[in-house]
Amino acid sequence: MSRPGFVLDVDQRTPPLLVHSGESFRLQEFPLGTRVVYPAESLPAVPDLDEAIEDALLHPVDSEPLPALLHAGMKLTIAFDDLSLPLPQMRKPDIRQKVIEHVLQYAADAGVDDVELIVATALHRRMTGEEIKAVVGERVFRSFWPDQLYNFDAEDPDALAHLGTTDSGEDVEISKRAAESDLLVYVNVNLVAMDGGWKSTAVGLASYKSLKHHHNAHTMVNSRSFMDPKHSQLHSSAWRMGRIINEHVKVFQIETTLNNNAFPSRYGFLQKREWEWSLRDQAMFLGAKQGIDVMPAKLRRNTFQKMEAPYGITGVTAGAVEPVHERTLEKVHQQQLVEVDGQSDVMVLGLPYLCPYNVNSIMNPILAACLGLGYFFNMYVGKPLVRKGGVLILHHPVPWEFSTLHHPSYVDFFDEVLAESTDPKVIGPKFEEQYATDPWYRHLYRTSNAYHGVHPFYMWYWCAHALDHLGQVIWVGGDRRAIARMGMRSASTFADALELARDTVGASPSITYMHSPPHVLADVR
Amino acid sequence: MSVARDVRQVAKGWRWAHRPLPPQSAEPHFTFLEKKEFSTDWARSRPAQAAREVILRGGLGPLVRRETAVQVAGLDIFDDLTGPAVFVANHTSHIDTALLLTTLPPAWQRRVTVGAAADYFFDAWWRAVGSALVFGTFPIERHGVGLSGTPEKLLAEGWSVVMFPEGTRSPDGWTRRFRPGAAALARANGVPVVPVGLVGSFAAMPRGRGWPAPGRPPVHVRYGRPLLAGADENTLAFNARIADAVSALLDEDRTDWYSAARRAAAGDTPPSSGPPTANWRRVWASSASPKTDKAPRAWR
Repeated sequence: MSRPGFVLDVDQRTPPLLVHSGESFRLQEFPLGTRVVYPAESLPAVPDLDEAIEDALLHPVDSEPLPALLHAGMKLTIAFDDLSLPLPQMRKPDIRQKVIEHVLQYAADAGVDDVELIVATALHRRMTGEEIKAVVGERVFRSFWPDQLYNFDAEDPDALAHLGTTDSGEDVEISKRAAESDLLVYVNVNLVAMDGGWKSTAVGLASYKSLKHHHNAHTMVNSRSFMDPKHSQLHSSAWRMGRIINEHVKVFQIETTLNNNAFPSRYGFLQKREWEWSLRDQAMFLGAKQGIDVMPAKLRRNTFQKMEAPYGITGVTAGAVEPVHERTLEKVHQQQLVEVDGQSDVMVLGLPYLCPYNVNSIMNPILAACLGLGYFFNMYVGKPLVRKGGVLILHHPVPWEFSTLHHPSYVDFFDEVLAESTDPKVIGPKFEEQYATDPWYRHLYRTSNAYHGVHPFYMWYWCAHALDHLGQVIWVGGDRRAIARMGMRSASTFADALELARDTVGASPSITYMHSPPHVLADVR
Repeated sequence: MSVARDVRQVAKGWRWAHRPLPPQSAEPHFTFLEKKEFSTDWARSRPAQAAREVILRGGLGPLVRRETAVQVAGLDIFDDLTGPAVFVANHTSHIDTALLLTTLPPAWQRRVTVGAAADYFFDAWWRAVGSALVFGTFPIERHGVGLSGTPEKLLAEGWSVVMFPEGTRSPDGWTRRFRPGAAALARANGVPVVPVGLVGSFAAMPRGRGWPAPGRPPVHVRYGRPLLAGADENTLAFNARIADAVSALLDEDRTDWYSAARRAAAGDTPPSSGPPTANWRRVWASSASPKTDKAPRAWR
């Protein structure tokens, strides 16, 4: 029986609490009365995954069963989420492999010859062959790589199809192969409430021309939050686009949900409530922390990046996109939603080593900001955990370090764009087009493993709602130069950060610490 | 040194020297996880028995008598008693176990074990080992995880068992409801229950004290006649009879055997749960040491 999440009030019995800080973690004592939002324990996984997948494919929601949609001579495209999901990477076999193998078995039985598999990268970096093999498994990889299994290329004009515009004038331009298929099967991993639904196809298989309609500062400020699709302009836009896609191609959506089992058992203390740490957990914490602290940086990064989550699958649902996603959201909420009574003056976050855009890579300052102010700040429904004009305190080292392989345009964005302005509404009109159409960035995106030139802008737009809402952002233990470049403040310790926050929220602020990961979605009443 | 700092922080945060406690607001979400029962078989081996005998007779017994003025009554019941028994006593202090064990006749002392709260005495290995060695304890789950098979096994092997059916030390010195576990155990195994009245231990060393109060406070240990469950008597009725027997022993300690017996026969034994008065008056009354019929010693 898994226990639901809850809100702890720090009292004198409360031990110091675990706080993530990039490729490390620490124990932090919090002032008495601090509220701590704890995630729910892991829900039980489905007892037989193959049976659950079969059941979803044979009894889909608002759709004929998959075998009835397959026939010889048809054009079948299977698209799937890239390595930005789930986080950390899941222990093999990946759920996408399991689902794709079931789909392909039905396709083989029906005699379908024309099958292509597309990694729905949108403007993310191309996955390497090894990374794709890890996701789809050796059997699928050997059968289709590289000609029928490939990364989506949003900059190949011959591979894109413009399907029309929405009522709001938004261009819908997606993968031509997907748009012209007799059936598009999308295999999703729904880690958080933002994922899935029409966002899978309308974003994952879309070009810059399409994405710019919702990936902008205005949309993000008005997505409150983008973890709550019903109140997210980002999702409203994707849903409008999805309906245009639906007029052109039959989409069979397969969505899967995960439980909160985000860390391997040896790091079990990372997802246990601290007062329930056994002596072994305490020893593991001390051993792991000391080991990590003395490791060379490269080894430390490899150690973290190699971590594989033993996620359990809590549900598999297939069928028409919208009703499927409704059920998926219910599952996600069942695992992640925690009721919180009211906002506070200060919100505290410990940011881990990983965000969707630095898998097997470096978390640069822009990605750290995106993880904190974009993703974690937005992990709410209702209203933010922190009041308007409040303070956000983030723990992360924010190293001034970039991967020139994966994030080349980020380097210039950080040096050139943020040096001029940190206001998403200012930098968008002034610089975005230039970065989005830069031929060198485009070349690196298409031929190397680089994120698209415009991607750092999107990361900064992701922060727009938080930047608009907050009075002050303070980083604990971060690189001061990097933080200053982003227009934020630095503190050496948490106590110093609270001292700095006094200017904005007074001497006795209410504080809420969101104890995550594993994921928690605050339902703020 | 960050290592030393981290270790200090963990030691302080997790109260290494003390009992870990969940934060108050986490208590509704706190569950005692089902743990594998700590094995205490080794504590009943011959070497451990020998060590315990040395500790009880050479260390703990003299220490108890040095720190408290112990009076024992009713030891004559052991003249007629053979085989294992279940000792049932009221419970107000950590000193109760020591009082009971050190006042038993040697033959019984060698073959007795004590049921102790698994979540209290067996939550850390060093506490479990210490209490099993010194007191011959075995763990009892008191949070509804299920009855352990250990006490039955012990009785079958000829060991007597000491149980405190209130489940925990009384917070005000008066007796709380007896849980039926001890009665059920005795009834199921056909062994007698020896009621024991412990008086004065609340005054000598109540909750929160780690050592008896100075001045050798008097404590009384009163053994009652063994009780056997009747053929038609169910567990609850037997449990009630045991509780009444303990109440009668406490009454006897306050008055005398005959008048206590008359009140017991008439059903007028004052309830050992104490008077229904304000809490402070209950604590006040039970924190007074019992009267002692020994003349004060000239040399203390």
